[in-house]
Amino acid sequence: MLEIKNLHATVESEGTEILKGVNLTVQKGEIHAIMGPNGSGKSTLAKVVAGHPDYEITGGDILYNGESILELDPDERAHAGIFLAFQYPVEVPGVTNTTLLRESYNTIAASRGREELDPLEFDDYIKEKLDLVEMNPDFLGRSVNTGFSGGEKKRNEIFQMAVLQPALSLLDETDSGLDIDALRIVADGINKLHGNEDAVVLITHYQRLLNYIVPDFVHVMIGGRIAKSGGKELALELEEKGYDWLESLATVNGEAK
Amino acid sequence: MTAAHPTRIEPSIFHRLAMHSPDPENRLWTGIREKSMMKLNSTGFPHRKIEEWRFTDLKPITRTEFSGMDKAGIKPAAGIEQYFIPESDRSRLVFINGRFYENFSSIGGLGKGVTVGNLRNYPKSKIVQDYLNKLVNYEGDIFTAYNGLMFEDGAFIHLEKGAKAEAPVQVLNLYTDSEKPFIANPRMLVVAEEESDVTIIEDHIGLGQNCYMTIPVCEVKVKQKAHIHHVRIQRDSIEAIHMSRPIAYVEKNSEYHSYTITLGAKLSRNEPRVIQEDEEVDFTLDGLVLIDGEQIADTHSVMDHRFSHANSHQLHKVVVNGRAHSIFNGKIFVRRDAQKIDSFQENRNLLLSLDGLVNTKPQLEIFADDVLCSHGATIGNFDPEEVFYLQSRGMTEEKAKEVLTYAFALETIENVKVDSVHKLLVEEVYRYTKANSTPKAKVTVS
Amino acid sequence: MSETKALESMISEEYKYGFTTDVEYEDFPIGINEDVVRLISEKKNEPEWMTEFRLKAYRAWTEMEEPSWFNAVYEKPKFDKLQFYSAPKNTPKLNSLDEVDPNIRETYEKLGIPLEEQKMLAGVAVDAVFDSVSIFTTFKEKLAEAGVIFCSISEAVKDHPELVKKYMGSVVPARDNFYAALNSAVFSDGSFCYVPKDTICPMELSTYFRINNMNSGQFERTLIIAEENSHVSYLEGCTAPMYDEHQLHAAVVELIALDNAEIKYSTIQNWYSGDEDGRGGIYNFVTKRGACRGKNSKISWTQLETGSAVTLKYPSVILQGDDSVGEFYSVAVTNKRQQADTGTKMIHLGKNTKSTIISKGISAGNSNNSYRGEVKFSKKADNARNYSQCDSMLIGQTCGAHTFPYIESSNPTGKVEHEATTSRVGEEQIFYLQQRGISEQDAISLIVNGFCKEVLKELPMEFAVEANKLLGIKLEGSVG
Repeated sequence: MLEIKNLHATVESEGTEILKGVNLTVQKGEIHAIMGPNGSGKSTLAKVVAGHPDYEITGGDILYNGESILELDPDERAHAGIFLAFQYPVEVPGVTNTTLLRESYNTIAASRGREELDPLEFDDYIKEKLDLVEMNPDFLGRSVNTGFSGGEKKRNEIFQMAVLQPALSLLDETDSGLDIDALRIVADGINKLHGNEDAVVLITHYQRLLNYIVPDFVHVMIGGRIAKSGGKELALELEEKGYDWLESLATVNGEAK
Repeated sequence: MTAAHPTRIEPSIFHRLAMHSPDPENRLWTGIREKSMMKLNSTGFPHRKIEEWRFTDLKPITRTEFSGMDKAGIKPAAGIEQYFIPESDRSRLVFINGRFYENFSSIGGLGKGVTVGNLRNYPKSKIVQDYLNKLVNYEGDIFTAYNGLMFEDGAFIHLEKGAKAEAPVQVLNLYTDSEKPFIANPRMLVVAEEESDVTIIEDHIGLGQNCYMTIPVCEVKVKQKAHIHHVRIQRDSIEAIHMSRPIAYVEKNSEYHSYTITLGAKLSRNEPRVIQEDEEVDFTLDGLVLIDGEQIADTHSVMDHRFSHANSHQLHKVVVNGRAHSIFNGKIFVRRDAQKIDSFQENRNLLLSLDGLVNTKPQLEIFADDVLCSHGATIGNFDPEEVFYLQSRGMTEEKAKEVLTYAFALETIENVKVDSVHKLLVEEVYRYTKANSTPKAKVTVS
Repeated sequence: MSETKALESMISEEYKYGFTTDVEYEDFPIGINEDVVRLISEKKNEPEWMTEFRLKAYRAWTEMEEPSWFNAVYEKPKFDKLQFYSAPKNTPKLNSLDEVDPNIRETYEKLGIPLEEQKMLAGVAVDAVFDSVSIFTTFKEKLAEAGVIFCSISEAVKDHPELVKKYMGSVVPARDNFYAALNSAVFSDGSFCYVPKDTICPMELSTYFRINNMNSGQFERTLIIAEENSHVSYLEGCTAPMYDEHQLHAAVVELIALDNAEIKYSTIQNWYSGDEDGRGGIYNFVTKRGACRGKNSKISWTQLETGSAVTLKYPSVILQGDDSVGEFYSVAVTNKRQQADTGTKMIHLGKNTKSTIISKGISAGNSNNSYRGEVKFSKKADNARNYSQCDSMLIGQTCGAHTFPYIESSNPTGKVEHEATTSRVGEEQIFYLQQRGISEQDAISLIVNGFCKEVLKELPMEFAVEANKLLGIKLEGSVG
């Protein structure tokens, strides 16, 4: 489904290279976790896959369902089924959650040849999704993320994921800033949404999310590359040993290439 | 307004007084005098048809007959030691009616690289030659022109690169009692070279109840990475007129924080300006005005953002009682290409009496799109809920209002770093709130 | 900065109303003097008192100076080259729509304002003003049944002289300002509306203004009176063809609300704004003022200002009656070389009076957009309240946003609160919405729409649709 090949990316305004040759393959039905220390490039990877304009791809490719998406605008990638749950969800004053979701849902539906929903049908449709993340219906009429607490913003991201039903979800530190109850709700929501036809990539700093969502693969990113990949047990090993023992490994790898 | 069209300049008090003073020996900087004379000759006296003076009643000036210093019957100053602040025991400049008094001054305690003294003693200094009267930028302003023509002495504060003043510098301006109204022209030049640091306490105090006009002109240059903390206290006589013009230029990575406390004078017009000269600066232009009786206190400020990355802050708080009148116009300019500006301005007015008047005009002029600028202005009395809350805790209504006024005013002086000055200001606030806890006319807030 | 371009292209969408209509005009002298003023009055068969009103205003005008205190630079109108009255030929009193010049009828059709009543949006009566003359007023009979008078001001002068005499100039006196004086001398036509006591006007009233003639100024006059316990909502739309020369539009609008009456006045101003280099476009110098004379009365101004080369306009409310309410909701969009200096005055005279000001300015291109407002609490305005919120959004590096709020209070029981902010369309916001599948253009629309939301929701439904189109924005939520 997603194939990232030797991807290099720099921050456009500064020219600093953040991704230094990332390789990653994600198949349908899988859950991948990407871990790593701060500044290792995890979040950048997610933003680059979603097409953030701040980054320039200087090498490599991103294939989605076998085709390169490098030339696609962010909205076209969304139409293709790529969803990014933002680490810092953006506030959009004056635009209600319902408006955003209906616009999103219908443009995505149109581009995929699905039927668009009229406002009444849409209302029914989203109300049932609310329960998934245990959110109050009041919240639909509020401006997108404006005045939301950190936890509400993160839950809102998962709610949007539930409504838009993406094929590939990139969840960027969705667990950070959540208390234990909210973490459980969010994790349950993600588990319920995940099936055989879609894939999830979790980007996280801590192992604790992985107690609730069990990944098929764990990757450790260090210095703009994936330094090590393994099964779910790798996360526990990291929890125990920290990232230091891998950093030397990354340097060796880096020089070897 | 401009020198190009000196049409119909009505001769004013300044034009008349300028004709016979000062004596030629005091003309130390001929260039400055000539320039000021030209400016004076081409500048009219302000009036209310000019937008910038629309709300300000200038009758206290126009209806007063001012005399030259020599003819005003000026009485000697006494008991001035009480105004010395202990922290500046060895870093104090004293001016009486704009003239320097070395015997009261004391300047030994500032440490290496710090020069403090009377401007008149530095005629050959390159710093003085480079900056004096060069930083004054008040288009069409007759008051700065008059000061430029007439000032005799002035405070000179210079910090060499990396110099940190070991004590706050007190610039004490005293005005003595007199038989007739006179005009004083205090002057100040502060140049802080790279990475230097200084705190200045500029104090204006009227010793009598007499009428005089003071026109303090202050020029400040804050070079790269330098810091200046500037506290200005105006405690002029209740009959006085105070027309101050402090202007600061801030260079890269520098900080300038100014706090002006207005307590005295029948008519005051304060025109602080901060001009950004490079990126990455941080400045403050806070003010506190506590007025009563027939006082008119006017603040017209300018914060001019000319380059990217600036943080600026202006909190201007005013309490009005009696028949007093407060005027505020705070201009925030953000020039083209000055991006990433974070500018905050708030003017809060507590209007306590039926005969008081508040005019405010916060003003934003923005020419760059990536900026975060906000301003706010409020005029009102106490929140009845707050008064009720305090009453329910056992305070009388008067006491509750006193406490609320005190809290309102105190916020602005929290940032004054010099202990004795902070204490002095707290006392002044307390004295004002005590005297004004009952409005001068009965007001019921519903 | 591609989103900037997208937004600019959205705002600067081709002006759709720039066509001209081929009409034969009556001859009329160029320039202005007492004879011209008399001639206008004569053409309109006015009674003596009206002629006198005009002449007095004219004399006052000759002694006044053109104002220059606002934040706009432009070439002053050449009054000696201007035609002060312009009427299509063949406009005697019309008895039916069939008598309207077919070219003019077609013009209104093109503008989306059909004059046939059955084609009208249900519940909107229209007075169509073409250049200086009211062409046709729809639904007159139906309104008359409710006792509502809705007609051109020329008809009102003849048919309801007592009302016109009593109220015209009572809110905006002839000497009020330079352009109000000029209007009082030469006004050609406009709308008149009278809503009697205890009456809720059964439909929205609307005037559609069209400037066609190249050399004529347009000076219309609107007078709306709401008697005790009455209610009326009035809409105004404006378009003009594209010419290289500037055209002058100097209207006066007076609103009077008596005890418990409410007037809601909405404007969509889309006069031609001139080209990229500032050639052509309308000078929109308008005096709009309402008087809340009665207790508990309310006047609400809502405006969407997108057109004109230069706009100077401050719809105001004088809050005389105790407990009266004034409101001002405004969106002003400027682009190219447009200059808008607009805002409001809320003058609080009565006790417990309240006013709200919500202003949203969007500047793009080489334009300058200024909010200028005045809030004044007089000594007698006990417990007055004002809340003002003035937000600006800048798009690009060559425009300016200015905020000039004048606030004065001399009453310690009053409370004024003013807030203003400046912001931009953030790149992160656009990316976020794009990531949710929304195109860049739509994302910007949504953000701008969100920015203006508090104002747009105040527009009547019929106008909201037009506002929506005008901003080039897919309106969200319940509207559209």
